[in-house]
Formats: sequence, structure tokens, C-alpha cells
Amino acid sequence: MNLLRQHAEVQFSEELAELKKQDSGHLPPNWMLSPQAVVTYLMGGKLKNGFEISPKYIGDRRLMEIAVATLTTDRALLLYGLPGTAKSWVSEHISAAVSGDSTLLIQGTAGTGEEAIRYGWNYARLLAEGPTENALVTTPMMTAMKNGKIARIEELTRISADVQDTLITVLSEKTMPIPELSMEVQAIRGFNVIATANNRDKGVNELSGALKRRFNTVILPVPDSAEEEVDIVRRRVASLAKGLELPVQAPALQEIQRIVKIFRELRNGVTEDGKTKLKSPTGSLSTAEAISVVNSGLALAGHFGDGTMNAQDLAAGIMGAIVKDPIQDKIVWKEYLETVVKGREEWKDIYRACRELV
Amino acid sequence: MPITILGIRHHGVGSAKNVAERLEQIQPDLILVEGPPEISEALALVGHSDLKPPVSVMIYNTENPKQSSFYPFAEYSPEWVAAVYANKNQIPLRAMDLPAAIGFQIDNDKKDAIKNVLENPETVEEKEAEFISEPINFVGYRDPMSYLAEVAGFKSGEAFWEHHFEKNYLQNSSSDHFEGVLLAMGSLREEKIPSSLEEENVYREAYMREIIRKAQNELYQNIVVVCGAWHAPVLEELDKSAKTDTKILKALPKTKIKVLATWIPWTNQRLSTQSGYGAGIDSPGWFEHIWKTPKEYDLRWLTKVAKVFRKKNVDISTAHVIESVRLAESLAALRAFPKPSLEELNEAVLAVMCMGDGIMLNLVREQLIIGKRLGKVPADIPKVPLQEDFERTIKGLRLPLTANAKQYDLDLRNDNDLRRSIFLHRLEILEIRWARRVGNKNKGTFKESWVLEWEPEMMISLIDKAFVGNTVEIAAQQTIVNQLDNENSVGKVAKLIQKTIPAELFEIIDVLLSKVNELATISADILDLMIAYPPLVQVSRYGNVRKTDLSMMQGIVDSLIIRISIGLPNACYGLDEANAENMFTKIGQVNEAVRLTDSAETDSIWLECLRKLLEKSGINQLIVGCTCRLLLDAQYLSEEATNQQLSYSLSVNNEPADVAAWIEGFLKGSGMILIYDNKLWNLIYRWVEQIGEEVFMELLPILRRTFSKFEYAERRQIGEKAKEGIITQDYSKVSDNQDNIDSERGEKALPVLRILMGI
Repeated sequence: MNLLRQHAEVQFSEELAELKKQDSGHLPPNWMLSPQAVVTYLMGGKLKNGFEISPKYIGDRRLMEIAVATLTTDRALLLYGLPGTAKSWVSEHISAAVSGDSTLLIQGTAGTGEEAIRYGWNYARLLAEGPTENALVTTPMMTAMKNGKIARIEELTRISADVQDTLITVLSEKTMPIPELSMEVQAIRGFNVIATANNRDKGVNELSGALKRRFNTVILPVPDSAEEEVDIVRRRVASLAKGLELPVQAPALQEIQRIVKIFRELRNGVTEDGKTKLKSPTGSLSTAEAISVVNSGLALAGHFGDGTMNAQDLAAGIMGAIVKDPIQDKIVWKEYLETVVKGREEWKDIYRACRELV
Repeated sequence: MPITILGIRHHGVGSAKNVAERLEQIQPDLILVEGPPEISEALALVGHSDLKPPVSVMIYNTENPKQSSFYPFAEYSPEWVAAVYANKNQIPLRAMDLPAAIGFQIDNDKKDAIKNVLENPETVEEKEAEFISEPINFVGYRDPMSYLAEVAGFKSGEAFWEHHFEKNYLQNSSSDHFEGVLLAMGSLREEKIPSSLEEENVYREAYMREIIRKAQNELYQNIVVVCGAWHAPVLEELDKSAKTDTKILKALPKTKIKVLATWIPWTNQRLSTQSGYGAGIDSPGWFEHIWKTPKEYDLRWLTKVAKVFRKKNVDISTAHVIESVRLAESLAALRAFPKPSLEELNEAVLAVMCMGDGIMLNLVREQLIIGKRLGKVPADIPKVPLQEDFERTIKGLRLPLTANAKQYDLDLRNDNDLRRSIFLHRLEILEIRWARRVGNKNKGTFKESWVLEWEPEMMISLIDKAFVGNTVEIAAQQTIVNQLDNENSVGKVAKLIQKTIPAELFEIIDVLLSKVNELATISADILDLMIAYPPLVQVSRYGNVRKTDLSMMQGIVDSLIIRISIGLPNACYGLDEANAENMFTKIGQVNEAVRLTDSAETDSIWLECLRKLLEKSGINQLIVGCTCRLLLDAQYLSEEATNQQLSYSLSVNNEPADVAAWIEGFLKGSGMILIYDNKLWNLIYRWVEQIGEEVFMELLPILRRTFSKFEYAERRQIGEKAKEGIITQDYSKVSDNQDNIDSERGEKALPVLRILMGI
């Protein structure tokens, strides 16, 4: 098969099968794995028979435990966080591990209507036969309810507020009424919802109080330590560069470390040695953005430069990622350049390159 | 003669419950609890209705109250529980440990030795080994319990103890419980695994055994010992160790130090920090909750959390509580715990009630997990050291406590007066309103006047500060540090620095400075920075700031002006009249401070910033005018350029109100320049001339306001000058011709000039 990307349950089918074999924990109804095994699948680890499970989420185990424990109660799970903190990734893998199916997905947009969440009609049939079950177009949500699986909603807060609220009945009564047919679809045990939303974007639709109450929220943070982040960036860049066939050597670890350091320092509002406080820019500066800065640096070096990525190639990308608001962020960035970067002996090149652009 | 040893963790709720149960079972005739023997008397007060935990025994060196240690108790401290039991049933109660006096002596000896080495470098070689070995001892040790934890698969020794000995209290199993503790600790002690306080423990444990032996000799039949679990196993071997103990105890230094013990109120906040036992707890409020709530503590805890949120107007329904309980229980199940602990409850609260947002959880931490409880002590207990220090100091400074107001004029060049001033400044920091500064007409900085008026309530507020520090100096320092914690305005911290200088609290200057630095960096409030700048510049110029790293101070002052200069042009954009006026004053103050620094670099940064301000559009004219004037004063703008600016700003097409504002800013509260600079005079004169009557009437109030701020004499002179109209003759021109100077007449002025300049 020549697929660009496989579903989690296909890509990691071997791991899931092995986990199932070794799983001795209590299975909640309609779950493929016990909660403990789901956490192991996410965090990685060695099984009793020595089989190695690769880590899917690099970060705090407790968060994954809260997320999985939530799904065993009758509240839905909301993964919340900055853009680029692996929310959708986690949601995909949890549903793959819990229901063995990560495809029951509703993409939330400003244009998502009620029929994308509840059900729609096949109008040709509706006209020909009148309202019958055959004329009904089911949604991933309805399918998940019928089969006791996990439904996923991406970008919940982008869906308009009135459409969001159709979820209330589904989440509290676990039923979806179809008044046109005087019937309803009642959820089978094992059904639940994982939604993702980011807390940085402005102009999104805040959840109503009633809906909020039906979700347990887990905030996925940016990586904890610098090494962790460098590790994530390096792995992802290496795999992406291969995919894009960039005519350049693998990125120097040193450059990645520098970018991660700049991003972390600005994000945390303090230099790594903890001695100087910094202002933080308005952008989120997530790991995903660090990855894309390195990638664009690589592309610049490959297509227009001498093939090795240097400070010049990175400067534009860094500034683009940091300065999102032309006034505030520029002050932040200038202050950072003057007070921190300038003072670092081995950062002279990057200081000069960035100074030219400001 | 049975002895029962109950190994506990200080402030452990499970330990306390088991101690209570075990004491009822044993019915001892003597109880020994861990703690220096000098506190035995104080412990007799436990159970007094006015002694309400959290409280602490404070034991201190009567000669040097700075040397002190604290033994805090909460309601659920096992030692407290034992003491309550003993006093209720009238069973003798003693504290057993190394006497505090000896402990203090050991500390003093060490300090003296170090001092000796520093003073007599020749002897360093012999003693060096001794000193080097000490810190290493502290660093190298690992929590002994972590060995057990590792075997049992727990993350830390703490978690191991918590799980086995604190969390799961079962009724009627206290004897098994303590046997288990003994076994666990015994196995560690047998392996001779060292703990971090190894050397100290040798003495302490020997002393403890000695006290137990003494009790046995007094023919007590049924002794219960309550002590830290780590010591429990070695207190059993009384006979075997008798000889070595005598030897060890002989090696202890003799001491003449007298100590006193007294109770002082404590807070939950302080319980959660380290104390005399070397064992602080993170969550006193939570412990109190499980101590008082034997059943369904998780559910009841979450209801409390909900209540706290509701008080803060966060909508939390009963359904939230139900869901939190469920999530906490599933989390506990997922982690294979029989019941949720504080961690699971916190995580459930976070996910269900707080939308995952940790900031709200801080509220729970502050109000519930730590708790706001403040202890109480009976009124008739002995004096606290702070009070004694206060009384000693005022005696030494000859400042009697009188109810009648009395004024003291202090001359700071006089040693006693200087010390008085320092002391009064410290009291001011402590918010004890005994002394009030009164304005001193004499502007010299070496004079200060205070009015002293004593009220008895002031002693109470002094005692209230007892836990802040044992001497007025330390208490004042600590007060500043405490205020600092909650401060996030640079200007206010700068004011704190200004307060500490006359109070000579130099030790904390560094802390203050780094706080200023930190705040200045993140602050986006330029005004705040501008408020902070002048006092900091002043402080940085104090020559007598001893022990303070002036270079750091300089660095902060320098970076502050950079930040101000970067941010100022934007901060001035689009200000309304009131804000512009405020900004105008601040700019003037900063400018003055910049002049004080006397540094060319600072000057150029600041002037550059002012120039930008001048060029930027959308700035209130008041500020533009002021900027223009400052640049002129600094000779950054040439007279010609100023003229150009002036006529540009005064040109007919401008809004009259803007022009008036510009003039106000430019003249900045003084008419001098109008009197002496004819060019400017003429420009303004012409401008007044050409405005029509209607516009003039409109402007009059504004102009009047500007001019009314001038000194009377200035206004009169300006008025007289106005009679003359346009000045064509230029008096201000000085003749360039050297020949015309009458040097003889000039020399006559020299002696007076010398006196004036103090040459």
C-alpha cells in the first residue's frame, strides 16, 4: 500500500495484539484493553515477555492516567492545550487502544452543522420513501454509540455554540433521539467521547457551562525538559526531511538545541540558568513550531544555501515563529536579543543574523 | 520493666491514630517523647484550653536569642497526642533527646573553630581535613527508607512510608503497626545504612538511652517511648550499650548556655516548612482533615473544595463533586490503591472542576491543603525573645516607653542617635507605630526628628510578630522578605529597598535587588519601572551600603533605563490628559535621576529615547513640550533646532489646547527660561499676539493654570517683561572680546566663590 499515513491501530497493530495477549487487568465493558494496558500502550514500556512497546506520548504519565481513568467514568474527555502539544495524536492513540478504532472522527470547523454530529438525511431516499431508517445518514457519533466505541471530535471549540450543545443529550442521557422517526439510538456500554480543543486561539466558541460540566479536562503541557524537547524535534525533523527529500545533511544537533533553548526560554519567561526573567511573546512556541523552524531552515540551506544549515538560514524562521504580533512581540524579541543572546559568546552568529532582520 | 517503643513520623496522622490507640491499651506510668529535656516543662501545658495548635515550643539561648530552635505541633502530631493523653491522665511526661544547650554549644564551637581558622591562617593545614569532611557527609547520604522503597517498588521512601504506615489505618492493629515499623527500621539500622544526620544521631541516641535508663532506675514499671521511627530500633538495646553510651556522652562539650522554652503561636503555613525536627509537611490542612474525618474523608474533602470554589464565585454543582469522587476512585483503582489519596483527589479536582487549569488548584492548596489556621497560646506564658530583645535595646538606647508624646531630634553623626534612628526605622518596618517621623525643616540628611508615643497594645502587636524573628533586626528583615513575596510592582520593591537602607538591613539587600531585577524584566508597565528608577538610582549612590554588591545594583539600574527607554515611546502613545500629566511628572523624575547617575552612557540612552519621543506622532503635546525642554537643557538639541520645534508646535494650524499643553510641558513648572531667553520669549510673545480673542478666551484657563505654578517673583518678572513687548536688544549675548574683561574686578569675586564652592 502506498498510503501517506496509516491509522494508529494499523501502524501499531502488533503492539496492540501483544498487549492484549499479556493483559491481565479488568476489562471495562467493550474495551479492547484494560486501563492499565492502555496507559502502557501510550507511555511505552516492556511487557512481561520482553516485548517492547514504543512510547506514543513523551511526558507526564499522570496525565495519561487521568485521561484513561476519565473514560472509565461516564464523563467525556477534553484534551486541552496549546497548538502543537500532541492533543490529536493522544486522542487517536487512546481510541485505537480502547476501541481498536480511531476512525470515528468528527472534524470541528465553523461550518460543522448538527447533521455532522447527530444524523443527516439522504434526500433522494427521503423524497422517495418518506422518513424511514433507510433514509437516515449516520454520523461517526451515532456509529460509536451503536457499537460502544470511542468517538473523537477535533477542535471542539471551533464548532458554533448551538451545534456544540447538541452533544449535551448525547453525553448526559447517552441517547440520541430521532423525533422524525419517533425512535432513538441508545449508546452501548463502552461509548465515550474524546474532544480536543486549543486554548490559545482567539475568536473560538467557548463551551457552555452545561457542556463543560460533561467533560473532564486534561491540559497537555509543552515538554518538561529541554532534552525531551530536543529529542522530539530531532526525531520528527529526521523523519520529515526524509519524506520531503531535502538535499541537505541531517540537521546539526547543536542548532536544534539552540532553537529549543530559545523557544523554551521565551515560552517559560526565564533563561535556562534561572537568573534572568523574560517577557513571553503572544505566540505559543510549541514543539511543533520548533520542528517547522528547523525544517524551513533545512529547506533554505538545501535550496538556496551551501547545504549545511547555519544561523542565517534559521534566523528568518525563528523570527517568524516568535514575532506574531508586530508591536508587542517585537519588543519581546528585541529585549531577548539584547539582554540574552548578545551576552552569549558562542551565539554571536545568531545574534548578528537576527539583528539584521529586526 | 517493659518498655514500649512507638516509632512514628512527626506530624504523621496514621502514626498519631496508632499512638492514641496503643496508649489506651498499654496504660503506661511514664511517657517519654522525643525532644530536648528542657521542653518537658512546656509540654505540661499541653491540654490547656488556651493552648490551641498549631503551636510551637521555642527553645532559645537566653544570652543570644538568635540561637533558637522550634518544635512545632499540630493536633495530629503523635507527640501532641501522647502529651494530651499524659496530661489528661496525670501520667508523668518527659522529653528525651540531646539537651538543646549542648546542641547550641556544639554549633558555637564549630563556628568558633571556623572563625579561628579564618583569623589564623597558619593553623589551617592541621584543621583543614576536619572541615572538609563535614559538608561531604551531608551531601553523600541518601534517604535510608528509599532502599526499602526500591525493593517494594515505590518511587520514594516517603511514598513507601506513607503507603504502609500512614494511609491505611486499621482499628485494633496498633501493636502490629509499631512492630512493623520496628522491623522495617531495624533492618535498615542493622545494615548500618547511614542517614543524613549520622554524627549528630550518635550523640542524640546515646542521650535518649541514658534518659530511658534513668527512668528505669526511678522504678517506673511501664514506660512508653514516642520517637521518630529511625531511632526506635536502637533505643531497645539499653543494657548492651550502657558502657559505650557513657563514653560517647563524656565526649560531649560542657556548656554554660542557659536555655528557655516557651510556646508561641504557629501557623499551618509554617508547619509546611522545615523545623527543629528536620521534618516539615507539605499539607497540614489535608492532614488535619483526615485526622478529624475518619469516614468518607475523600467525599467530605471534595465537598470542602467545592465550597472554597463557590466562595470565589466559581460555579461548582453537586454533580461536579459526584464526578470528582468517581474520577478519584477510578484513578486510585488504576494505580492499584484501595482508596484515593490527596494526589488522586487533586487530579480529579483539576480535571473535573478546574477545566485542567492549575491556577485554580492553587486556591485549594492555599486555603485547604495548607490551610489558614493560626494557633493560640495562653496569655500568661513566659516572654518571647523578640520582646526581650526589644526591651533590652530600648534600655541600651535610652528610649523609655512613655505614654506622653515626646520628640527626639536625632543627629545621625552621633553614634547613639544613629543607632536610635536605625532601631526606629526597623520598628517602622515591623509596623509598630510607637515612633512617628515628623518633618524636619533642616534639610540636611544627618538630622531626623521622631515623636514617640507608647500604647500598651503595641506590646501585643510586638508579641504577634514573635514568630517572625527573635530580634527586632531579624524580624524586620523577615517582614521585608514576606512583603516581597507578594509584591509584583517594581516601584514598590524599590520603595522597600529604600526602607531597608536607613534600617541598615543589609543582609537582605541582595534578595531585594534580584527581585527588582526579576520584576523589571517581566513588567510591561513602563510607569511602574519609571517609579522604581529614581529611588534605585539614589540607593545605588549610597556609599555606605556595606556588604552589598554595588556592581549588581549598578547593573540593575543600567538595565532599567534601557527597558524604560525601549518602552517609553510606545507607552506615551495616545495618552489622555490625566495620564499624560502623570507621565509628564514621571519623565521629569526619571530625567532628574538620569542626571544623578552622572554616566555618559546612561545619558545617551535616555536622550536617544527622548529624541524618539519627540519624533513620534500621537504623543500628547504636554509630553512633547517637556521632552523638547529636557533635550534643550541637556544641550542635545541646539538652540536653533529648539526654535524650530517651538515655532512648529506653536504654529497657527495647531489646536490651541495642544499648544497650551505644549507650553506647559516645555516650561515645566518654571518661568525662568522665559525671563532669560529672549529668543524664546519673542516666539511665545508673537504667538500670544497672533491668537484671536475667541481662541484666547478658550486658552486662558489652561495658560493660567500653567503660569500659576510659577513662583510669585517669576510671574512678576514675566509681567514686567511683557510690558516691554518684543525684545530686540539681545542682553544674553556675551562679548567675545577678551580685551574688554576687567580681570581686577573679576578677581574680587573669587574669595566669595571659594566659600560658596567649599574649596
